Amino acid sequence: MFPRLGLLLHIAAMHLLVRRRQTLVATSGVAVGVGFFLAVSALMVGSQTDFVKTLIAAAPHIIISDELRSPSPQPGVREYGKTGAVELHGYKVRNEVRGIKDWQQILREIDAMPGAIGSPSLSGAVTLRQGGRDEPLGVVGIDPTIETRVSTISEKLRAGRLIDLERVQGGVIIGEDLAERLGLGMGDIVAATSARGVSRSLRIVGLFKKGQSGLGSGTGYMLLREAQSLLGRPFVINRLGVKLPDPYTADAVAKQLEARHGYKAESWQERSADFLGLLLTRNVIMYTVVSAILLVASFGIYTAVSNSVTDKRRDIAIMRSMGFSQGDLQFVFVVEGMALAVAGVIAGWLFGFALMTVLGSLEFPIQGEVRHLPLDRSTRQYLIAAAASLFAGIFAAWLPARKTALVDPVDILRGAV
Amino acid sequence: MEAAPPESAAPITPVLVAEHLERKLPGDPPVTLVTDIDLAIEPGKFTAIVGPSGCGKSSLLYLLGLIDRPTDGRLLLEGRDMMPLSGDERAQIRLRHFGFVFQFHFLLPEFTALDNVMMPIRRLGRLSLPGARERASDLLTSMGLGDKLHKPPDHLSGGERQRVAIARAMANNPLLVLGDEPTGNLDSTNSARVVELFRELAHEQGRAVVCVTHDPGIAEVADIRVSMLDGRICEVLRQT
Ligand SMILES: Nc1ncnc2c1ncn2[C@@H]1O[C@H](COP(=O)(O)OP(=O)(O)O)[C@@H](O)[C@H]1O
Ligand SMILES: [Mg+2]
Repeated sequence: MFPRLGLLLHIAAMHLLVRRRQTLVATSGVAVGVGFFLAVSALMVGSQTDFVKTLIAAAPHIIISDELRSPSPQPGVREYGKTGAVELHGYKVRNEVRGIKDWQQILREIDAMPGAIGSPSLSGAVTLRQGGRDEPLGVVGIDPTIETRVSTISEKLRAGRLIDLERVQGGVIIGEDLAERLGLGMGDIVAATSARGVSRSLRIVGLFKKGQSGLGSGTGYMLLREAQSLLGRPFVINRLGVKLPDPYTADAVAKQLEARHGYKAESWQERSADFLGLLLTRNVIMYTVVSAILLVASFGIYTAVSNSVTDKRRDIAIMRSMGFSQGDLQFVFVVEGMALAVAGVIAGWLFGFALMTVLGSLEFPIQGEVRHLPLDRSTRQYLIAAAASLFAGIFAAWLPARKTALVDPVDILRGAV
Repeated sequence: MEAAPPESAAPITPVLVAEHLERKLPGDPPVTLVTDIDLAIEPGKFTAIVGPSGCGKSSLLYLLGLIDRPTDGRLLLEGRDMMPLSGDERAQIRLRHFGFVFQFHFLLPEFTALDNVMMPIRRLGRLSLPGARERASDLLTSMGLGDKLHKPPDHLSGGERQRVAIARAMANNPLLVLGDEPTGNLDSTNSARVVELFRELAHEQGRAVVCVTHDPGIAEVADIRVSMLDGRICEVLRQT
C-alpha cells in the first residue's frame, strides 16, 4: 500500500514539476482567491462585530417607554362597545397623563434579575436663554451612579464628570457645540425654561465631545430629581433602560416585561431590526462574492489538471498497459489538483495575512482621533478559506481526472506504431 | 495450413492458451482485426509472430497481453480463464505476470532510467523502496546500463532506452514477455543485442517470450515461428 501510494504521489509531483509555469499560475490563482477572501471577510466580519457592538452599547439593551403598543380604549368605547350606534353629547376625548408612574416597582423587579441594571430617566424639552439667544435643549434626567454603570456617556465627555451632577445644584452637561453657540464654558450659568413655564438657573458641569452619534447637539443631562422639577413632572419618568448581562437575551426579556407591565418594552434587536436585516443582506452579498472568487480560483486548477491529463495521454496509456488501475490514474490527477490547492492555500494565507496587516495599519483620522479599520483576524476565517479552496480544488481536479478512464491504451499504442 | 495443437504431444504445459480468439471493431461493416486464433505460448520458448504489415500481429499481441479484449473466444493464463475478469483485475495480472516492450521505448520522460524500472515494482508493492531500487539497479546493470541509472530517457541513446524498457518489462519477474517490433527502431548492432537479451530471457530464465517482428534476424532465432495473414494464423513452425 505504501510503496504504491508513494509512487502515485511521486508521479503527481513530477507532473507538476515539469509544468512549472502552469503550476505557478494555478497556485497563484488560488492564493489570490484565498488572500482576498481573508481580507474581505476580515473586514466584513470585523466591521459587523464592531457595528453590532456599538449598536448594543449605544443605548440600553431594552428601553421601556411610557407608550402603549395600542392606545387604551376611550371610555365611551369601553362603555358602549364598538358596534352599537350611540349619540353622545359633551363627550371629551380622554388624554392620559404620559409617564411611567409605577417605575420604582418595575425597577426593583429588574434589579432582582441577576446581572441586570435598570436606569430610569425623564426627558423633556426646555429652552436655554443666554444673552438674548434662545436654544432648545432636550434634557434627560438621570441617576449618575446608575448611568455610569450602564452607558458609555462618560467616555463621550470632553470635560467634567457625570457624578458632578450630584455635587452641583442645577448642574447640567451639554454638547460642546451648543455651548460654543451660546458662548458658554465650564462653570457658567444659563437660564432654562420648560414648556410648563418653570425656570431654573443651570450650571454647566460637563461638556460632550462633538459629533457623537445618538447624542444630538441639543441633548443635555441633569439629575433626575432636578429634571422632574424643571419639567414639572415630579416623581414621574418616561423611560426605563435595562442593561442585561447577555445582550442577546434582550428580545425575550423585553417581551416578558411588556407582558407584565403593559408599557412598551423594546429590545435593541427590535429597535435595529432594519440594520440587522441590512447586515444579513450584506453577509449574503459578501459570501456570494467571496465564493465567486474562490470558484474562479479553482478554474485555474481545472485548467491545469485538464491540460495535464491531455498532455499525458500517452503516459496514461503506458501506465495502464503496465498494470496501473483506472483508480490509480484518477488518484494521480486528483492529487495534482489537491497539491495545487494546498500550495495555493498556504501562499494565500500568507498573502491574506499580509493584506490584513496592511489594512490594519491604515490610519483614519476621524474627529481628531486616529482610527483603524475593524478587522476580524480570527483563525476561523483561515480555516473556512482553506476548507472551501480544498473542496473546490479537489472537485475541479476530479472533473478532468475522470477523463483518464477514457484513455484506451490500445488506441494510443496502435496510434503510436 | 493448420496450427497443430502442440500441448498433446509436447511435455511442456503452455503458460498462455488462446482459443478461437476473435477481435472485431464495431462498425458498418465491422472490421475484423484477427479471427480464429488458436495458440499456445510455452515457457522457456522464444515465439515470433511474423507476417506482412497490417495482417493483425499487433492486434493479436494486445489480446494476448490482456490490453485488449477479444470479441469472441477464450484466453487462459496457467489454466485460468481470463474472460470474466474486470478491467482492474486484468490490470493486476498485467502488472504481476506480463512485461511489455514496444517499438517505441515508451519510457516516462520525467523519470530517470532507474525510476522508470522501479515503477512496476513500486506499483506492485511487494518490495520496500530500497528493495525496489536494488532490484531495478541490478536489472539495469545486468543490461550494461549500470552507469546510466540516473539519466532521464532523453539523455539515452535509442538502444539504451530500449534496454531500459526491457528492464522495466522484467521488473516484476513476469511469466510472459511480449514485444511489439522491439527492434523496429534500432540499428543492427543494437537489434542483435536486444534479440540476444530476449533469447536469454526465454532459454536461461525460462520465461515465455512472444515477439511480433518484421526482423528476419528475430524470426530466424525464434524457437517457434507463427505466421499470420489477413488476421489469421496460417502457419506455426517449430525451429531447432
Ligand atoms: N481502429 C481501427 N480502425 C480500422 N482499422 C484498424 C483499426 N486498428 C487497426 N486497424 C486495421 O487492422 C489491421 C491490423 O492492424 P495491426 O494489428 O496493427 O497490424 P500489424 O501489427 O500486423 O501491422 C490493419 O489493417 C489496420 O489498418
Ligand atoms: Mg503492428
